[in-house]
Amino acid sequence: MAHQADAKRALDERGYQGVLIRGDNPLKLFEKPVRDRIVDSYYWKEQCFGLNAATLLDRAVELSFIGGTYGIAQKPTPFLCLAFKLLQITPDREIILYYLEHAGDEFKYLRALAAFYIRLAWEKDEEVYTTLEPYLADFRKLKRRTRESWTLTHMDEFIDDLLVKNRVCATTLPKINPRTFLEDEGKLEERVSPLGEELDELDRDDDDEGERSEGEVEELEVNGNGHQDSDSRRSAEDDEMNDAD
Amino acid sequence: MSERKGAYGAKSASDTSFRKTWDREEYAAKAAERDQKAKEEGKARHEAAAAGKKYIRRASTPEDAKDTEARKARLNVADQVGKTQLVAAGAGQGKRGKSAGFYCDACDLTFKDNLQFVEHLNSRQHLVATGESGEVRRATLDEVKERFEYLKRKREEEKARETVDLGTRIQVAAEQAEREREEKRRKRNEKRRKTKDGKGVEEIKVENDGIIC
Ligand SMILES: [Zn+2]
Repeated sequence: MAHQADAKRALDERGYQGVLIRGDNPLKLFEKPVRDRIVDSYYWKEQCFGLNAATLLDRAVELSFIGGTYGIAQKPTPFLCLAFKLLQITPDREIILYYLEHAGDEFKYLRALAAFYIRLAWEKDEEVYTTLEPYLADFRKLKRRTRESWTLTHMDEFIDDLLVKNRVCATTLPKINPRTFLEDEGKLEERVSPLGEELDELDRDDDDEGERSEGEVEELEVNGNGHQDSDSRRSAEDDEMNDAD
Repeated sequence: MSERKGAYGAKSASDTSFRKTWDREEYAAKAAERDQKAKEEGKARHEAAAAGKKYIRRASTPEDAKDTEARKARLNVADQVGKTQLVAAGAGQGKRGKSAGFYCDACDLTFKDNLQFVEHLNSRQHLVATGESGEVRRATLDEVKERFEYLKRKREEEKARETVDLGTRIQVAAEQAEREREEKRRKRNEKRRKTKDGKGVEEIKVENDGIIC
């Protein structure tokens, strides 16, 4: 089994014969202008040519930030290019899970990359939730390149973004049913937050001491989707940038 | 017309003779360079064998010839940075032979910038010339695991080296600081011991637990 060294053939509209995701060429999960910028980028031409799921690791472990496109020319980040490469080679599911679970412990940007891919490429909503949610307990820092600058985020926030936002890293995410809907349908169990115990403890502490500041409690509130509400940590300015990137 | 003259009035007509020589020299230089490269690789191979290791040309990939593989390292663009090179006008699509710029050995073509060079390396023309299919073999989970373990090891080794480096640097800095302290102490003492008549330090001895006599 083999795939092409670049995406030329896969991007040729006249007769795509590869793997379909959501009934279409997976590369089309990225919008046309973004696709064009990726395949025109030097990083893509030099670093992504000829990668397979094993050699892609060489590049992924070098990642030092996430992000979509940046600068006036809207250059794609290496993160975005590698995500595109993954869509081109559509590695076996077990490989993606290996990236996410095992290799991701060591290399956090690889975990972020695998999570992004899963959110884009996996078709069963409930699997996306159950596979990604454990990493809402991964609080490692991630650097994010925005259109004009840099911001700091965390793995849990990034995962949360993937599950609740429409647009992440210059990409419109495929539609996903809200968690509560899937729970009502009986497709998902209610999520027990790993913070649950801590929340209880916090409540107890509150009762005991009665002097904890509002802000601290607010950080740990749980939103309607059963995810930790990370928005409270983020500034409004940052949100604005998320839409732009 | 009496006799043919060279462009610079030389008696002999062979005004291109110098050029032939130059070509020969260039080819000789090229060959020497190739030999040198082969020698270096041979040496690396030998050293690796002596150390009981397998020589791997570049870290990343198993030695399959047919499939197209990812580049093992960044293209060495930095080498060219800051160098002024004269490039023939319109050399955009690659120029036959080796000249200033980025040279492809397999195709004997020179490109004026790294973008054109990398585009060439990805091109069908180049793949055919190097006997590659342009197809990449899919990796198995085991290969992915192996690659990951290798990269993890590599990173740990780098970290360890950095730690050693840091340790060495700290030690060196400490020794340096100690030397500086000593020097200061010496100067201070010298100043303090200097007598009014300027006879200096040698007349004053420190004896009996530092009591100055
Ligand atoms: Zn070539």
